[in-house]
Amino acid sequence: MKETPLSNCERRFLLRAIEEKKRLDGRQTYDYRNIKISFGTDYGCCIVELGKTRVLGQVSCELVSPKLNRATEGILFFNLELSQMAAPAFEPGRQSDLLVKLNRLLERCLRNSKCIDTESLCVVAGEKVWQIRVDLHLLNHDGNIIDAASIAAIVALCHFRRPDVSVQGDEVTLYTPEERDPVPLSIHHMPICVSFAFFQQGTYLLVDPNEREERVMDGLLVIAMNKHREICTIQSSGGIMLLKDQVLRCSKIAGVKVLEITELIQKALENDRKVRKEGGKYGFAESIASQRITAFKMEKAPIDTSDVEEKAEEIIAEAEPPLEVVSNPVLWTPGTAQIGEGVENSWGDLEDSEKEEEDEDGTDEAIILDSIKMDIGVEVSNIGSQDAPIVLSDSEEEEMIILEPDKNPKKIRTQTTSAKQEAPSKKPVRKRKKKRAAN
Amino acid sequence: MAMEMRLPVARKPLSESVGRDTKKHLVVPGDTITTDTGFMRGHGTYMGEEKLIASVAGSVERVNKLICVKALKTRYNGEVGDIVVGRITEVQQKRWKVETNSRLDSVLLLSSMNLPGGELRRRSAEDELAMRGFLQEGDLISAEVQAVFSDGAVSLHTRSLKYGKLGQGVLVQVSPSLVKRQKTHFHDLPCGASVILGNNGFIWIYPTPEHKEEGAGGFAADLEPVSLADREVISRLRNCIVLLVTQRVMLYDTSILYCYEASLPHQIKDLLKPEIMEEVVMETRQRLLEQEG
Repeated sequence: MKETPLSNCERRFLLRAIEEKKRLDGRQTYDYRNIKISFGTDYGCCIVELGKTRVLGQVSCELVSPKLNRATEGILFFNLELSQMAAPAFEPGRQSDLLVKLNRLLERCLRNSKCIDTESLCVVAGEKVWQIRVDLHLLNHDGNIIDAASIAAIVALCHFRRPDVSVQGDEVTLYTPEERDPVPLSIHHMPICVSFAFFQQGTYLLVDPNEREERVMDGLLVIAMNKHREICTIQSSGGIMLLKDQVLRCSKIAGVKVLEITELIQKALENDRKVRKEGGKYGFAESIASQRITAFKMEKAPIDTSDVEEKAEEIIAEAEPPLEVVSNPVLWTPGTAQIGEGVENSWGDLEDSEKEEEDEDGTDEAIILDSIKMDIGVEVSNIGSQDAPIVLSDSEEEEMIILEPDKNPKKIRTQTTSAKQEAPSKKPVRKRKKKRAAN
Repeated sequence: MAMEMRLPVARKPLSESVGRDTKKHLVVPGDTITTDTGFMRGHGTYMGEEKLIASVAGSVERVNKLICVKALKTRYNGEVGDIVVGRITEVQQKRWKVETNSRLDSVLLLSSMNLPGGELRRRSAEDELAMRGFLQEGDLISAEVQAVFSDGAVSLHTRSLKYGKLGQGVLVQVSPSLVKRQKTHFHDLPCGASVILGNNGFIWIYPTPEHKEEGAGGFAADLEPVSLADREVISRLRNCIVLLVTQRVMLYDTSILYCYEASLPHQIKDLLKPEIMEEVVMETRQRLLEQEG
């Protein structure tokens, strides 16, 4: 299916918001989305979530004969696939450009940087070497595929364990995982890609663009770096002219971001290692169990609650004192009284209790009842006429009306609360404006 | 600012529309429509094991000996004479590709487009080079279906002054099956706004132009600021249309107008709350029934 085109006003809105340093999801210019790493039961399987973009990575190995001109080195093979479930625009035949670009970038980042020691993958020189294959599948596309894919690739490689091999003379023994523990790959460093999206011919830049921002961007700069501040790969696409100091600035930002992400990766790997050692449960079933299929999963959005107290106090001060609901005992027969049971929940039915109190001595309640009467209008008189007064023989009260549960309590409630909402809303708006001026 | 919070609740089933004489025969793919072999097969059906089986989910329509199933949720299938509202996606040689919520992009040929000033002449090479000056990618247009190709793609034309590029307004995208087929799809509602009900499900709400311009031919985009009163009318209309769509009411000028009038006691932003939606739709349905019978 072809992508639905972005409307002009949406495009303009996004660009204007970026000019004012605002992003749709509330992030700052240099903020990354939440990164979540979860591991599967097999070694070398992981899912990385960068916001809503999800990539599944799986590493596998095989003994093969080496390449002719590289007889002592193992073989690395990377493959990124854009699954059809990632976006409606991804179809089996249609994704070639983007796919080629991403695959090429991933290869340059991981293979040319020599992050994996290929010499250690050699078993018998010229005859048997390990071929390590990294398969990445994009499960959901919400922007910035390359970052998520590079994180998934390096995490999967760090997590992977290959079977142990021993060579004695001419004999090569391949141990199964039961005989000897599998051995991790030897990884020198962890290169991670950081993407920068440029807008308005390079005037504004954003880190980690999401899908909407990617649609309106002018150009993209991808810098792959490791935590030792070595640049592994740098690529600029989109045809924008970048100045030298812009590129230097981006590399500094990339350095900071890569440090944070590397820390996160180390922590995730450490956690998984601990869980496996202690014999606890691990795998996708554990990490994804908390999400239920039928419920909407909303991430926690950080809300600034620093000034909530003042505003809450204002609202309370302006609001009327809460009405007292006194439960009246209903005397059925001498000796049997009833309080509250059998009637519908009177949480919001203020006028029910008011009606009963009014019959006895509702002097102070009458004022509130009058104000509610204005809103209700016909309702109250209807209730009054429907219920015949039941006179009890030995009761002290003159007239006892057992009201039927009110039919539309909600309508009355919304009207009164909306009136209350109008009043305090004006003050906080003014407060807000002052805040902006201070900024 | 006071915030309103709502907890999710189980969705209530849509209320049965009151006073329908004949129950619609609804089918899902695989349902048997009839075992009588005397009928002709129409769209949405196929013959299997001596029975007529439905292949889409929708309601069964019968015209004499022809049985077809009209799908409820579908992409727009063009028919000659329909009014559509579409967005330009590509500018090609001598034609534009227009997105109209159908299976294939619709085509607007340069020769089917009105030249500014309403002149009639052969399209020259300069016209071809100036195509982007008329319509660019992302522009919204209103057009009429001229022809339908064999693969289902639709060919549009804007050969009347009432069609052309759309200026300021609000676009609402609904399912094409909810737009009722009528004599005219351009309505000037008495509440103060105008609406174009595209057969492809794109509904365009815009402020009523003060005087009908004859000269522009639909190309001059009016960028005068719209007044606040007009904006409120337009946003209320938009919410009313969304309301009607969620409650599966057919959209035509009368239903939109009744819904607008029923929604006046509520605030515009409250219109999309479930309880207010039900109330307004119930009132609209009642008025529509009274008007019919």
